Amino acid sequence: MLHLIKLELKKGRMTGYLWGSLITYGVILGFLILIYMVEGPVQEEPIFQSNAEMLGLIDTLIRATFIIYASVLLSKLVIGEFQNKTIALLFAYPVSRKKLLLAKLSMVFIWTLANVIIANFIIGTIFLTLNANFGYVQGTVTSGLLINHGISIVTQAIAAAGMSLLPLTIGMRKKSVPATIITSVLIVVIVCSNNMGFSLSSIIAIPLSLSALGIMLTFLSIRNIDRIDVA
Amino acid sequence: MTELIRTRLLSKTYGMADVVTNVSMKVRSGEIYGFLGPNGAGKSTLMKMLLNLVKPTGGEIELFGERLLPGTIEPLKRIGHMIEAPVFYEKLTAEQNLELHCEYMGYHRSGAIREALELVQLRGIEGKPVKQFSLGMRQRLGIARAICTRPELLLLDEPINGLDPEGIQETRSLFRRLCDEYGMTLLISSHMLAEIEQIADTIGVLDRGRLLQEVSMESIRSSKTDYVEISTTDVKLCAFVLDDRLGIRNYKIVGNTAVRIYAMSMTQEELFKGLILNDVPVTAINRRHHSLEEYFLELTRGGGGYAASH
Repeated sequence: MLHLIKLELKKGRMTGYLWGSLITYGVILGFLILIYMVEGPVQEEPIFQSNAEMLGLIDTLIRATFIIYASVLLSKLVIGEFQNKTIALLFAYPVSRKKLLLAKLSMVFIWTLANVIIANFIIGTIFLTLNANFGYVQGTVTSGLLINHGISIVTQAIAAAGMSLLPLTIGMRKKSVPATIITSVLIVVIVCSNNMGFSLSSIIAIPLSLSALGIMLTFLSIRNIDRIDVA
Repeated sequence: MTELIRTRLLSKTYGMADVVTNVSMKVRSGEIYGFLGPNGAGKSTLMKMLLNLVKPTGGEIELFGERLLPGTIEPLKRIGHMIEAPVFYEKLTAEQNLELHCEYMGYHRSGAIREALELVQLRGIEGKPVKQFSLGMRQRLGIARAICTRPELLLLDEPINGLDPEGIQETRSLFRRLCDEYGMTLLISSHMLAEIEQIADTIGVLDRGRLLQEVSMESIRSSKTDYVEISTTDVKLCAFVLDDRLGIRNYKIVGNTAVRIYAMSMTQEELFKGLILNDVPVTAINRRHHSLEEYFLELTRGGGGYAASH
């Protein structure tokens, strides 16, 4: 399995993936700094009531971005192989088809999981430091707050990683890249949209069960992979 | 001789369309099996079924004596293949593509890739991304990929497509070499009779999904006699001279301008001299043999008996 993942990385060039996520971090950070610097000095209606709310927004934005990013990866790793017909090459190798696909899917899962956690850590730290200097958001940062937020990030990251597989079930039907990406956008819109401080993902059961659904449907969709024709 | 491929009443139906119907074929170890048939005869589908890429709707396949089932992967280690136009990871270089192939095949022998590229005469371009390759180069690279793991069985679908005449000749001798020196068994499909005729030991004729005939080249060659064709402006005189003066009875008048002599006992020079001395206006004398093309046309036109099994 590890070998298969290595081969996938060789195929897709690993440095490309790393740059991709670094650029994504930068864009998210830049966007947040823009909000913070523009809206921060306006005191009548503060953008963030507390540090917890600020960190919460950072987390939501990161998850939304990486769920969509994952659908691009899925398109490239799975749908792309079908579209370019290279899947006929892969499936004629003496390697189980299930293993081949599992390697690809676990890459997407781990990729999303790791990026959500790392991005939260980096961007969150930068923001807390920033706020310690500018002080636009009121309140003190307690260790309790950090621990709670940490736990939340990890559960949400697991949920996001599972949900990031959901678009495949739709995209695989017609082997379509647009369908895959649009599905991920829809998931983000539903789960991550923030309405007056409330979002569906704040009820942790919802993202977690969607995540479980994502993993389950993925297993179902590759269960019969040995029987399908690859034209 | 053992059989590497054996199918029994193999069929594939897509919806209502029968693409392959009741094909029972045998490919023996160490031979070059030529798969002959027009476009759309089901050659590619059949080869994909042998690779387990397409699942049969009827019948069964045995590879290396083991039955092929959905999920069977063991025999794939021993097969090299190129089906239809070969696909590659376009952004990767030729060498990287072959490296990946060897890794997935679980084949590790240093120098294997270089050797394969040399065999197909693709040297000096290993570092180029495949997307810059011409059709002919891709075809060569496809063959290189198929042979670099030294497979026992090689499935090649229209391998000479896109090659120039020189390339075709090189590839032909390469296939012969792979068979004779490396002991590979080759299954080569083509719609070009002349190609198959020159290279195959056994020929399977596929038409509209059915295997019309499976026959060794040797038996075709021996059953089809050579003949000498005389082109003349006076066939009657020619026939008279042959019969009366030269004692040749085994001839046939073809149209108004040609006479064919079968199983001729005298040399061509003697014949020529005899005709000229008797004032027969000869414009040309040619030695010909029945080509596979004629045999093939006879077979498909005559609607020849379907050879479901042998």
